Amino acid sequence: MSSAAKPMRWYHNPALAFLAAVLLVGVLWGVLSSVMNFSSFPGPITALKELPTIVLDPNAVWAIAQSVGRMFAGYAWALLFAIPLGLAMGRSQAMYDIFYPLVSLAYPMPKAALMPILMLWFGLGSFSKILVIAMGVSLPVLFHSYQGACRIEKKLVWTAQAMGMGPVKRLFRIVLPAALPEILIGCRVGVVMALIVMVSSEMIARQEGVGNLLFTSMDMAQYATVYAVILILAVMGFVLDWLFERVRRYLTHWAESSGGGSSLH
Amino acid sequence: MNRQSSLARSVMPAGPRGMVQWRRLSACKRLLSPIAALLIWELVCRLGWIEPQLLPAPTAIAARMVELASAAEFWQHFGITLYRLVVGLVIAVALGVVLGLAAQLSRLGAAVLDALVRLLAPIPKIALYPAFILILGFENTSKIALIVADALFPVLMATWAASRSVDQKLIWSARAAGTSRAACLWKVTLPAIVPTVLAGVRVAGVIACVVVFLAEMIASTDGLGHMLTVAARAYRTLDMFVPLVWICALGLALNSLIGFIQRRVDHSG
Repeated sequence: MSSAAKPMRWYHNPALAFLAAVLLVGVLWGVLSSVMNFSSFPGPITALKELPTIVLDPNAVWAIAQSVGRMFAGYAWALLFAIPLGLAMGRSQAMYDIFYPLVSLAYPMPKAALMPILMLWFGLGSFSKILVIAMGVSLPVLFHSYQGACRIEKKLVWTAQAMGMGPVKRLFRIVLPAALPEILIGCRVGVVMALIVMVSSEMIARQEGVGNLLFTSMDMAQYATVYAVILILAVMGFVLDWLFERVRRYLTHWAESSGGGSSLH
Repeated sequence: MNRQSSLARSVMPAGPRGMVQWRRLSACKRLLSPIAALLIWELVCRLGWIEPQLLPAPTAIAARMVELASAAEFWQHFGITLYRLVVGLVIAVALGVVLGLAAQLSRLGAAVLDALVRLLAPIPKIALYPAFILILGFENTSKIALIVADALFPVLMATWAASRSVDQKLIWSARAAGTSRAACLWKVTLPAIVPTVLAGVRVAGVIACVVVFLAEMIASTDGLGHMLTVAARAYRTLDMFVPLVWICALGLALNSLIGFIQRRVDHSG
């Protein structure tokens, strides 16, 4: 608004500011570790040097690949169920009355904490691990799909109805495309959530995967490995979020450029 | 601004006003489907379709909760979890509000904080837990640190987004009347942003409940989460459900408490 006349500085370039943030975190980490001087708290350089050892270790790579595979399987299942349910809740009062109270009760439940119970029910295989991720991802996707379905212009739905479209066809042909911008925001939040639930459920179940890798290397006092794995997970979280934001903008540039309220395209 | 708002959304799935909003239901309608679900659950268990070793009936869980609630040991676990939760949340809220407001003072500060948040917000904070354990030990400190790391971002983002959208004329008037920039934050910006910040705190509260429970499950010797881990190791299914119900109740209570404060502030302002 009023900043138009002020000069541009280096820190107004997002890339440079981001680089500064990375450096700041790295320097802070380095200074803290050298001040505290614990063997269990190596600096960033030590952790970075450990990275090739993990990336070249087939066992570690296999553990990470399996985790990521389960993460996307759970993510896909969540989208498959949560998007239609969220849209239906936005369009139908009865669906809303039934599912909203249940969803709001499930909201504060720690999903990864269900891991022991799910393993009791479905065994130690990957099904329970995929299911817990799907449960974690479902809620944010459901929130945003619902929100997207609520904002649709009534005229669009009426027109489709007048043209003789049934409720199911309307859901997929009219409501889904119109709610897409909001759904994709849910997908972006969901992918970060998938990573969080994946890591925490593996830390709880301790059988295989990245979460287990973290704690076994901690138990074996391979501290540099612990920090290197944390770095890998941090980068994964950041890259996934960034990637989904790019995809979201690419798919919905029509909605953002034309401003709010014009869902008639 | 666009990036800002989508970032704020990413940290707050059910965030402040203008983001995800639910229609309000009457108390009667709100109870209908949970009661139906509980009845079906009870019926399925009573008819013997599912072994109680796999899924205990709701009444059995309730009876066990009452039984455990009469033991002092349970309240020790409950107390330590509540202590970690409250301390972590208070630190996160204080830190989030102070950082969010302080970033308004300088444009360099705002740019760096923005970049830091963009870097750190999408990182799965739970992955930092092993590092916190190695640095801060197995006790309370590492768990509180994890809660702060997780609950900080919703508060920070809400504070920041709200303080940027405070009416500039208010600040200009205060500045013209001789108020310093720092005093402006305290006297003009802070009162104006309280409702939005509370919405951030509400999200942070639920996140903090989840995180404290998970941290206690992963590495702890006490707390509600530890109760679940112990019960799981001994295959005591009934005892596994009790701490889960408690943490959900704690999260819902915190959520509605902050929601209540939010509405009070909204009406008085």
